[in-house]
Amino acid sequence: MASSSSSLPSPSSSSSSSSSKKLVLRSSDEKHFEVDEAVALQSEMIKQMVEDGFGGDVIPLLNVSSNILSKVIDYCKKHVDFDSKKKMDDRRRWDAEYIDVGVDELYHLIMAANYRNIKGLLDLTCQKVADTIKGKKPKQIRIIFNIKNDVTPEGEQKIRKEHSWAFE
Amino acid sequence: MADNQNSEDEARERENRMEEGSSSTTVGFYALPEGCISNIISLTSPQDACRSLVVSSEFRSAADSDAVWERFLPSDYRDILSRSASAVDFPSKKDLYFHLCDHPILIDDGQKSFALERRSGKKCFMIATNELSIVWGSTPQYWAWRFHPESRFSEVAELLEVCWLEVHGKIETRMLSPRTIYGAYLVFKLAENRRGLDILPAELSVRFAGTEGGDVRSVYLDPQSPRQPYHRNRMTFSQLLRRRFSLLRPPMLEGRQEAQYPQERQDGWLEIEMGEFFNDRGEDGEVEMNLMEVKGGHWKCGLIIQGIEIRPKQIK
Repeated sequence: MASSSSSLPSPSSSSSSSSSKKLVLRSSDEKHFEVDEAVALQSEMIKQMVEDGFGGDVIPLLNVSSNILSKVIDYCKKHVDFDSKKKMDDRRRWDAEYIDVGVDELYHLIMAANYRNIKGLLDLTCQKVADTIKGKKPKQIRIIFNIKNDVTPEGEQKIRKEHSWAFE
Repeated sequence: MADNQNSEDEARERENRMEEGSSSTTVGFYALPEGCISNIISLTSPQDACRSLVVSSEFRSAADSDAVWERFLPSDYRDILSRSASAVDFPSKKDLYFHLCDHPILIDDGQKSFALERRSGKKCFMIATNELSIVWGSTPQYWAWRFHPESRFSEVAELLEVCWLEVHGKIETRMLSPRTIYGAYLVFKLAENRRGLDILPAELSVRFAGTEGGDVRSVYLDPQSPRQPYHRNRMTFSQLLRRRFSLLRPPMLEGRQEAQYPQERQDGWLEIEMGEFFNDRGEDGEVEMNLMEVKGGHWKCGLIIQGIEIRPKQIK
C-alpha cells in the first residue's frame, strides 16, 4: 500500500509532486498514513476537525485498524478522482469490485464509515449488507452475519403469525 | 421429510457462509449501531423488514423503527393523507403502513381511494365512477347513480339500458409510483337481471394521453359469456367434467384465457384488467383507460361500476 508507512513522514518532505496540502492519519495500531487533504475530507468528521483548526498534527483514528484504514483511504482516493470525472459507470464497476469483501471486513468498514462519517462508503457498505439480506430466511441471516438469536420462541411465533405473508 | 428439509437448509446456509467468506467470522452484526442496522433494513423491502423482526432483538428494534417505515412509505404520503377527509393518525409509521395496505382511505372529496401494495409499498388508487366519463351517464333513463352498501365510494353507476356503452377514466402519472409496471382494472358487479353483456366482447384499452394505438383487449364482462357453447362438438373429457360442475364455477371454455374474463376479488366485486403500462412519464404524463362496447347496437343492462383501480402488477 503506497499510502501506508510505519514511521511518521513529515508533510513538508513528501516526495509527491503534488503541491496539495497533506494530512497524516494514525490508525489504532499506530501506523501513519499521509494523504491529500481532499482525500481525508471525504470524511465529514475529519472535515469538521480541519474546519475547527485541527490540521497540522497527526489525526488519531482510535478504533480503526491499519488494514481497514488503508482500505478506507483507497475508497476516498478513488472517489475524489471520480468526483472530478463524473463517470457513473466506472464508479459503479469500481464500487462493486471494492465491496466484494468478507463479512468481517464489511463490518469494520461500516463501523469506520459510520464513525468517520463518510457518507458514500456508508451507503455502499449498508447496501451490500441489505442486498445480502434480501430474500433470505431469518436463520440464514443469523448465520451469515453471526447474530445470536435472542428472540424467544413465543415472541418469534407471535411475529410470524402477525406478518405471515412475509414468511410465505 | 422434515429431516431432508433441515439438512437442505443447513447445506444452503453453509454454502452461503462460504460465499460470504465468513467461516471465521469474529464479529457480530448485532453490535452495529442501531442507526446502521435500521439504515440497512430500510434498503431491503417491507417483506425483508418483517423477516428481520425475528432475527434478534437489535434487528427487531431497528425493523420496527419509524426511520425504516418512513422510507417504505411513498415520499409524498403526507400530501396524500392531507387530502383525506378524516384524520389518519397512527402511533408508528409501521402501523400507518399496514393500515394503508389493508384499508384504502378516501381522498379528493371521496372521489378516489388510496392504498399501498403490501410487498413493495407502491401506490394504488381507485377512481370512483363520479370521476369517470360515462357516455349517456347523465341521462337518468340510461344510467342510475346510487348508493351501494358494498362500495367504498358514496355512489356507483348502474347501467339501466344503453346500446352505446362507453366509459373513460384518467389519472396523472405523477400521482403513481415511478418506474413501476401498473395494471388498470375495471371493478364492477353484475345485476341479477343483466342482459346483453354476453353477446359481444367489450374492448378495453389503456394508453398514455396523446398516444395512438396500443393493445386493445377483447373481454366478456359477463363470466357466463359467450352465450353459445364454444367448441361444442369437440369437447374433451375434462371439458365435459368442467361443464358438469359449472354450477360451482363459471364454465371454463377451451381457448379462453383467464385474463380475458373477470376474476372475483376478495371484496366480492369482479375485476377485469383493462391494460398495463410502465410508469416512466414522470411529472407530465396522463394515462387514459377506456371501455367500449358499441359495435353490436343491441340493448345492454345490469352493469354496476364501482370504479377503476390502478395498482402495481405482481411480478412473479
